Amino acid sequence: MSDPLVAVGMLLILLLAIFLGFPVAFTLMALGIAFGYYAYFDADRMWRPYERAVEQGADSWVIAEHWLGGFFNNRIFDLFVNQTYSVMANDVLTAIPLFLFMGYIVERANIVDRLFHTLFIATRRLPGSMAVAALVTCTLFATATGIVGAVVTLMGLLALPAMLKAKYDIRYATGVICAGGTLGILIPPSILLIVYAATSGVSVVRMYAAALLPGLFLAGLYLLYVIGLALLKPGLAPKPTKEDVGEHTFGEVVWMMLTSFVPLAFLILAVLGAILFGFATPTEAAAIGALGGLLLAVAYGALTWQRLKESVYLTARTSAMVCWLFVGSATFASIFAYLGGQQLIADVVTGLDMSPLMFLIVAQLIIFILGWPLEWTEIIVIFIPIFLPLLAHFQIDPLFFGILVAVNLQTAFLSPPMAMSAYYLKGIAPAHVQITDIFRGMMPYMLIVILCMVLIYIFPQIVYWLPDTIYGARPI
Amino acid sequence: MQYYIRFADDLSAWFGKVFAWSIIVMIFGMSYEVLVRYAFKAPTPWAYDLSYMLYGTLFMMAGAYTLSRDAHVRGDFLYRLWTPRRQATVELVLYIIFFFPGVTALIFAGWKYAGRSWSYLEVSSNSPAGIPIYQFKTVIVIAGVLLFIQGIAQVFRCVLCMRTGHWMRAVEDVEETEKVLMEAKTLDVLKHGSEAVDIPSGYDVTAAKDERTKP
Repeated sequence: MSDPLVAVGMLLILLLAIFLGFPVAFTLMALGIAFGYYAYFDADRMWRPYERAVEQGADSWVIAEHWLGGFFNNRIFDLFVNQTYSVMANDVLTAIPLFLFMGYIVERANIVDRLFHTLFIATRRLPGSMAVAALVTCTLFATATGIVGAVVTLMGLLALPAMLKAKYDIRYATGVICAGGTLGILIPPSILLIVYAATSGVSVVRMYAAALLPGLFLAGLYLLYVIGLALLKPGLAPKPTKEDVGEHTFGEVVWMMLTSFVPLAFLILAVLGAILFGFATPTEAAAIGALGGLLLAVAYGALTWQRLKESVYLTARTSAMVCWLFVGSATFASIFAYLGGQQLIADVVTGLDMSPLMFLIVAQLIIFILGWPLEWTEIIVIFIPIFLPLLAHFQIDPLFFGILVAVNLQTAFLSPPMAMSAYYLKGIAPAHVQITDIFRGMMPYMLIVILCMVLIYIFPQIVYWLPDTIYGARPI
Repeated sequence: MQYYIRFADDLSAWFGKVFAWSIIVMIFGMSYEVLVRYAFKAPTPWAYDLSYMLYGTLFMMAGAYTLSRDAHVRGDFLYRLWTPRRQATVELVLYIIFFFPGVTALIFAGWKYAGRSWSYLEVSSNSPAGIPIYQFKTVIVIAGVLLFIQGIAQVFRCVLCMRTGHWMRAVEDVEETEKVLMEAKTLDVLKHGSEAVDIPSGYDVTAAKDERTKP
């Protein structure tokens, strides 16, 4: 069997192990080492000390030791430890624990109920006002925390009962929460973009600049849909009654906005601004954001020892989850490429004689389908590296591709059977809310995501305008 | 067996949690760097090295802790449908063929790598400050050993589960329930929803409560 075929076999075993549900990081590590051992197997080199000992007529213990040692003399072990160290000293991934911590602490800062209440009052005259408020709250909160599950469940406990009480349609009410909460992995500062940047070598800063408008654009499309549907079918979202809303003067609303919406928005904008305009590296900005999150929690009187501890430990666990995946994939990917698996795939794909557009559609379709059973971390760390080397052949910018992937992966949370957003929501929703209702509620948003991708393809300026404006024209 | 599992869980959690606090050092260290760079035009020579060392130590040391709480990412769309017995059987085999060889390699290769670094007391080449990095390379070995110890505990868990038909829960989850109860006196109940979902793989929340019986 030729080496490239061995590499394909390696990929198939990986897929099998993923399907069996073993922690992916360790599977990658083991396969990388096992196949690397095969790839770098060089009997002459490995047993050279042994041969030398025999020639010199050393005593039999020394010879036996050298013979055994020969098995461990494979260069894969050096490669493995070097790759591991390069993940540990990676200056892009350093931002991940900091952003995670910022997310966990903001999540515990008692801010979300205040935010939703305020936005509900502020938007009370709009059609579907509660849904609009829920969507904006989700978007902002998800952007700040980046933790989809937390946003969906918090909002599910907060906004969903309120909407159901106001006789909102179940599908209408659940869809908006799931879709809004999922935006957190797209709008910067999101972890997904850092992980993509670390995988692809695109600069995080450029990635953030490029993702900002598409993220807001998608949120805008959602908003249009929510308002539009409420206008067309007012029955879905009855106007709030006077007693629900209460009387509020303009000054009161402004004050409420100043104490809930503005601080959080300011925090996000400060972090993003510092990164985009080069005042600080993403890691430094993340640290400042985390500090800001801590201050915010203090300001809302929510910083307890208990919550701090929770945030710290959860940060460690989630960082380990993401970064060990990199430890595994670093070795796996280099062995896969070394054996020629990458080249084989490239040859096959280029041999198909596809147009760039076709390739783009096929690639996104594959990612879309992978999003059903898998999580975005696995998709980006394991599968995206397979596509990346093909991009140059089709003259597709990895930055542009990355944004499309980030938008596409929104659907990973929304599409059955493994729509995590839906399961989170179902887990905390009242019993009469059926999972099928939630799925149906989310369907339109999936179509909007696809529409958004098409629009981004037709108008790439949505991606390029901001980075080009800040950093000048792109290098081609 | 149960005694050993508890011991490994505690050991992993202890290391994971102690080094988890490096996130706080990281936050203040980086913020200090930005402050002195702009306010006093005096950037520090150590902040960059500090940042990746703390990050690297943080996640490497948390590896075993994460494993003991079953929080490593896994494609569980089939796995979650199985009975605990079948989960345990499959996992036991996979631990033996996938987990231990990799982690053993990590320990031995890391040992050689760190040893070389110690032999000439290597310092970082990123700044003239001469930040030592041999201790940072040693983290690879320690993380590997912790994973190995925890891995044996996970194998024991599988064996126990194959015998009894249910997973032995991690120590901390018991505490967590207590903590949650203690919290309920002081915090509004709403907050608990947010904690149940912090099991990072895609469990739904109702299942998440059952999942607490898992490692």
